[in-house]
Amino acid sequence: MKVIEITDVYKIYNSSEIKVNAVNGVSLDFEEAEFAAIVGPSGSGKTTLLNLLGGLDLPTSGKILIDGTDLSLLKSSQLIDFRMRNIGFVFQAYNLIPVLTARENIEFIMNLQKMSKASREERSFELLKAVGLDDRAGSRPSKLSGGQQQRIAVARALASKPRFVLADEPTANLDSKSASTLLEIMEKLNHEEKITFIFSTHDPRVVKMAHRIITLEDGKVVSDVRTE
Amino acid sequence: MKDLQMAWRNLWRNRRRTIITAASVFFAIFFALVMRSFQLGAYDRMFKNIIESYSGYLQLQQKDYFEEPSIDNSFVVSPEMLEAFSADKNVDILVPRLESFALVAAESRTQGAIVMGVDPEKETRVSDMSSRLIRYRLTEQAVAGLHKESLPEKTKNALDVFLNESFSGPGRLMIDLGIADEDSAEIMPVLRKHAGFANSYFDNNDTSKVLIGNALSEYLKVGIGDTLVLVGQGYHGTSAAGIYVIKGIVKLPAPDIDNKVVYMTIDDARQLYGAPDMATSVVLALHDTEEKSVLNTADRLKNILPEDEVFRNWKELNALLINQMDADNKSGMIMIGILYLVIAFGVFGTVLMMLAERTREFGMLVSIGMQKTKLARVVTLELLFVGFLGIIAGVIASLPVVFYGNIHPIRFTGELGKMYEDYGFDPIMPTMLPDNYYLWQVFVVLLILIIAVVFSTRKILRINVTNSLRA
Ligand SMILES: Nc1ncnc2c1ncn2[C@@H]1O[C@H](COP(=O)(O)OP(=O)(O)OP(=O)(O)O)[C@@H](O)[C@H]1O
Ligand SMILES: [Mg+2]
Repeated sequence: MKVIEITDVYKIYNSSEIKVNAVNGVSLDFEEAEFAAIVGPSGSGKTTLLNLLGGLDLPTSGKILIDGTDLSLLKSSQLIDFRMRNIGFVFQAYNLIPVLTARENIEFIMNLQKMSKASREERSFELLKAVGLDDRAGSRPSKLSGGQQQRIAVARALASKPRFVLADEPTANLDSKSASTLLEIMEKLNHEEKITFIFSTHDPRVVKMAHRIITLEDGKVVSDVRTE
Repeated sequence: MKDLQMAWRNLWRNRRRTIITAASVFFAIFFALVMRSFQLGAYDRMFKNIIESYSGYLQLQQKDYFEEPSIDNSFVVSPEMLEAFSADKNVDILVPRLESFALVAAESRTQGAIVMGVDPEKETRVSDMSSRLIRYRLTEQAVAGLHKESLPEKTKNALDVFLNESFSGPGRLMIDLGIADEDSAEIMPVLRKHAGFANSYFDNNDTSKVLIGNALSEYLKVGIGDTLVLVGQGYHGTSAAGIYVIKGIVKLPAPDIDNKVVYMTIDDARQLYGAPDMATSVVLALHDTEEKSVLNTADRLKNILPEDEVFRNWKELNALLINQMDADNKSGMIMIGILYLVIAFGVFGTVLMMLAERTREFGMLVSIGMQKTKLARVVTLELLFVGFLGIIAGVIASLPVVFYGNIHPIRFTGELGKMYEDYGFDPIMPTMLPDNYYLWQVFVVLLILIIAVVFSTRKILRINVTNSLRA
């Protein structure tokens, strides 16, 4: 079954005098449990595409279906709820809520979903172990390294078992060792939980680990290859 | 995670900013309350002083007297009329006065004076005249004598501050000189020995005896038993002159009256001015002096009013003072307004800074699925926490100052005190105890807070996630 289906999507920025076709006629499908990388030069439209997939932004034209739901038909508060239930996000930085501990950060979305305390705790413990930070459960983000923060962010994105996780350059601020640790964790969780991961990156070593590589140039998909 | 808990933690995330914001609210409300308390307390005192020592709440006058306060506009007080008025349920007693001007001459100096012909027994019931007699006077001689005695250091220092002051009773004297209740048995006899002032009230049989204001006595350099000559114009142009002996000196809280008033029996005054059975005003001492009941009483009595007479209430009688207070009140409010404006800008600055600083965080929160309304609620709670912290601390801190200031009023001495007196103000400023004005100040600060909340809520509801994430 297809998790994401986008057809003929355009995103045109008209803000200044120059018109930018950030996403220029893209059609893509994503299946369950994919582990896909979006690559391409700076300004090629990776962030814009991920924002569209995550319902953070709406396309100028074209159709985006998530599990069969057309995002453009949702009201803005419904869209926020939709994201809360179906999509996990990992950003490049500033992922975590500074006043919450690692564990509370992981539980945050489950909390918004009004999950019971017991199941929240069970799940956050499970994920803390999976990302290898069960000893840092009570630490605030400022007490964690950049790599540790990103691992907690991945755990939070997965906590409520969304349909897929979007990660825009999750390793950009990390040294190569932390970057590969994070990727290994992401791949493992992708495998265990059968949740689709779509991430953008500039890092060739990260690209190597992807099972599918989508290359963008000037807002267009120039190649889409599966590596398995 | 409860909204409240999250708001609480967010507050202490930037501890310094939270404290500065709460402190600015604190200082605003504290200063506004204390300022207002002194201002209103001073007005209240001035009003009470002038009304209770002089004008009364309601007067009966000949209709032209108000415009032209001359003895020619006096009227005959008939016993029947007094009786008819006394029948009203709110009227306690009726106190006729014959008031006019005269030049008063002592051995070395002359001064224009108000001559008040009064019924001593009745008068003291409306204006408490007998308790205003001076009991202590800290003359240079008295102070020099007291310095030789063994007195607490605090009291000795205070002696020089209150040099030449007069006191109507031991209460004020003890407060001003810092004498504790338990020491009074020991110290008061010493004070009486050096600074005691022999003095007595008068009655209707005291022909040719007068009481004079304390400031007037100081100006004329006269004391008990000294003789004064009064010269003036009597009823319809007759000449008025007489010789009087000073029986008592009273300290009136309204400096403008204290420095020119001479009290004598109404019979003496009628004789002096050649106006038998006449009065320039009849003060109605009332049981209930609330503004409304004063007006109602005047209304009830209107139909039995003789043709030529009218009622004047305390507002009309003290129009000048009310105007002055109004002007002063406005300038006080402007000052407080400026204070609040500064605070409002401070609070908005903080809110703007906070919103700008947390743009990415807000973008992230809304991205991952936090509703904007929930986010706005958390931020509102944060602002309310800071605001209430400041308000509550400010109110609590103001209370001891306000209560202390009520018992120990600020006293302006020296040049500043003189200046106040020249404007006709009593140079003593007590505070007004907490009242409606407290609610008003809190209300204004809450309003500022609410505007800040509306502002931040609007901002949050308008968050554009992609722009915020890029910030
Ligand atoms: N809000 C916006 N307004 C105007 N132009 C924009 C906006 N957002 C993106 N763009 C433009 O759209 C194009 C694609 O930008 P995008 O951020 O998607 O690229 P990217 O592939 O993520 O680049 P990078 O690798 O540097 O992150 C760029 O030319 C960019 O300048
Ligand atoms: Mg990008």
